[in-house]
Amino acid sequence: MAYPFSEDHDMIREAVRGWAQDWFDGGQGPEGVHKAGTGFDAKAWESLTKELGMAGVAIDEAYGGAGLGDLGRVVIMEELGASLASVPFLSTCGISVDLITACGSDAAKADLLPKIASGELIVSYCDGHNALKLEDGKISGGVSHVVSAANADLILLSLRDADKIEIIAIPNKTNGLQIKAHQTMDPTRAVADIRLDAVNKSDVTIIGTISEADLNELVIQSFIALAAECIGGAQKCLDMTLEYTGQRVQFDRTIASFQAIKHKCADMYVAIEEARSAVYYAATAEPAEKTEAALIAKATATEMFFKVAGDAIQLHGGIGFTWEYPLHFFFKRARANRTMFGTPTRDYERLAVGLLGDAA
Amino acid sequence: MSDPVQKVRDEFGTWMKENLAGEFACLKWRGTFGDDEAYPELRQKWEQKLGADGWVGVGWPKKYGGRGYSLPEMVAYNEEYARYGGPGRSGHIGETLFGPTVIAFGTEEQKKQFLPGIRAGTEYWCQGYSEPNAGSDLSNIKTKARLVGDEWVVDGQKIWTSLAVDADWVFVIARAEEGSKGRNGLVFLLVPLDQPGVEIRPITQITGGSEFNELFFTEAKTAKGNILGGVGDGWKIAMALLGFERGASTLGQQMIFANEVNEIIKLAKINGAYHDPHIRQRIAKAYAGLKIMRFSALRMLSGAEKGEWGPETYTSKIYWATWHRDLGELAMDVVGSEAEIMKDGEFGALQKMFLFSRADTIYAGTNQIQRNMIAERALGMPKEPRGDPNA
Repeated sequence: MAYPFSEDHDMIREAVRGWAQDWFDGGQGPEGVHKAGTGFDAKAWESLTKELGMAGVAIDEAYGGAGLGDLGRVVIMEELGASLASVPFLSTCGISVDLITACGSDAAKADLLPKIASGELIVSYCDGHNALKLEDGKISGGVSHVVSAANADLILLSLRDADKIEIIAIPNKTNGLQIKAHQTMDPTRAVADIRLDAVNKSDVTIIGTISEADLNELVIQSFIALAAECIGGAQKCLDMTLEYTGQRVQFDRTIASFQAIKHKCADMYVAIEEARSAVYYAATAEPAEKTEAALIAKATATEMFFKVAGDAIQLHGGIGFTWEYPLHFFFKRARANRTMFGTPTRDYERLAVGLLGDAA
Repeated sequence: MSDPVQKVRDEFGTWMKENLAGEFACLKWRGTFGDDEAYPELRQKWEQKLGADGWVGVGWPKKYGGRGYSLPEMVAYNEEYARYGGPGRSGHIGETLFGPTVIAFGTEEQKKQFLPGIRAGTEYWCQGYSEPNAGSDLSNIKTKARLVGDEWVVDGQKIWTSLAVDADWVFVIARAEEGSKGRNGLVFLLVPLDQPGVEIRPITQITGGSEFNELFFTEAKTAKGNILGGVGDGWKIAMALLGFERGASTLGQQMIFANEVNEIIKLAKINGAYHDPHIRQRIAKAYAGLKIMRFSALRMLSGAEKGEWGPETYTSKIYWATWHRDLGELAMDVVGSEAEIMKDGEFGALQKMFLFSRADTIYAGTNQIQRNMIAERALGMPKEPRGDPNA
């Protein structure tokens, strides 16, 4: 793996970093989103997609995207993670784009991808093939805790139809579809339950079909984007900690001069950099290695972010415990990321099955 | 055009396969850290075999008998060596530490004097840095050197010198200016070991083995010309030497680690440890850590190829050392009650690995020193205030 980033990536990073930190420091920010109670900042999304044009980063150039793949997405997710910008980039520009690209019909691609790239369409995907039932042409069932579903124009679901899995698209206003948003501990990212009550299959669009094995691999590979968000969030926590401990004076010294503080910061840095290596590697890995690399990146980065965010609160002392100081938003995002797509424990068990076979 | 890195893999891989056989077959995977005392004579013969076919000092410039390999070629060479279970190299201190230092700081005459013996596997080196009171605080060196006529006379004590018993020479940092302190007034001297003024005492370690030694200098002598740089250059050269090894050998080391992980997995499958969910988690984490080490090494080397070791380079030592120490503990838990049993009165490979891995987080900069370096150099945090020895 050569140094993975091209000049295009560096330009994107610079643009999104400036935009995201402005949002964090002087814009709506996590606190503003918390007050609004929506887990979503529509204006920010419009600005990110229409002014900066970032929604199409991983979409093929033929469909109006930038064609920068996983690595382009990693750059953006790092910067979004460093600001907790409340935009549905992960759900819309991650797995949804990958699924449409991997199994979509030409018509579906031509219809959906340009709309996503231009910011006209917010999409949320969740696995439905074990939760939904198809009977007499009607789809019923529910899926809980779906990221960004409450803000989505279009819900993508996997649906088992006989021996194949179809990816279906349901517009949010479809008859029989209910989307119920939750209040969440992390107020910066909306989560909702989806319920389908005898939705007519003729009312949904079939994007394409995919094997269960391919779908599982694609879903795991989409974790790379989440892992990148963790890197960005953790780096911000460390940066805030270095700044704070470098100013805070006790015993006539900045507390940054005490080994107890320095060593903890060093451990945070080691954890971040090793996870960063895992994420960059996964984003550039050859297809044969990609799923395993994505699993390692996701398990490592989600555990790391939670640990680093917790340590950052500890090193800030009392102020880290206040609501006013924004560190708690990172801690809450880190907590949410640990369980959003399954715990790290489950990821490691998946690796263990590959190494040792089944436990029983 | 053929890929030069692939060419190294093909050429050296084939050589290893053909030559690490016959009388050398018993050396496979032996003689690495924690097992340094295995087959010392045969391993020197192996070193000479490598040398005869031009496989020692491949990173050195061609005019000094090397192959002038680039960093990616060096990585390939080290990986191929480890892939075939190449034994711990008796000559690695000469080849990877002292050789590049002579090339950088030595006179042409010194290069002619010292490089061929390393290159041929006929002269061996060891490192005289640490002292009983100069460990983490390395610049607190007390060993003295004074120029008497045409000779340097050395008095003092060095410790934790690996491979000293089989070495011919030691490079020593010593204090040449009376009353100088810290990094000032030091010299980098080259001292022959076979003389009455040098005594080598092996240190028996918690492994029962003795890879490390103490070196006592009592009016030990070396020629006036056996110095790199001048008086006062010792610290600069000593630190530059430590920088030469960085990078290329890590991927080879990781193959040795991978072999250990595979042994643990194999054992867990045989003895039923794989049923235990906690053991499964730990094995999966160890495997993930091994992969991450590889990803990090590739990331850092690619930065280095562009001419810059990034600050993230400071994270490698503490990461692999801690990972390997954890692996030792995991290995013993996977072995189970059998871990306590010494077959034929000796430690087995995993038992040795477990015990020796306690040294990993101590030598070459303890984890605590690593954290200081990371905090100060990578993160720019304030330096530790210096203590007052009279306080």
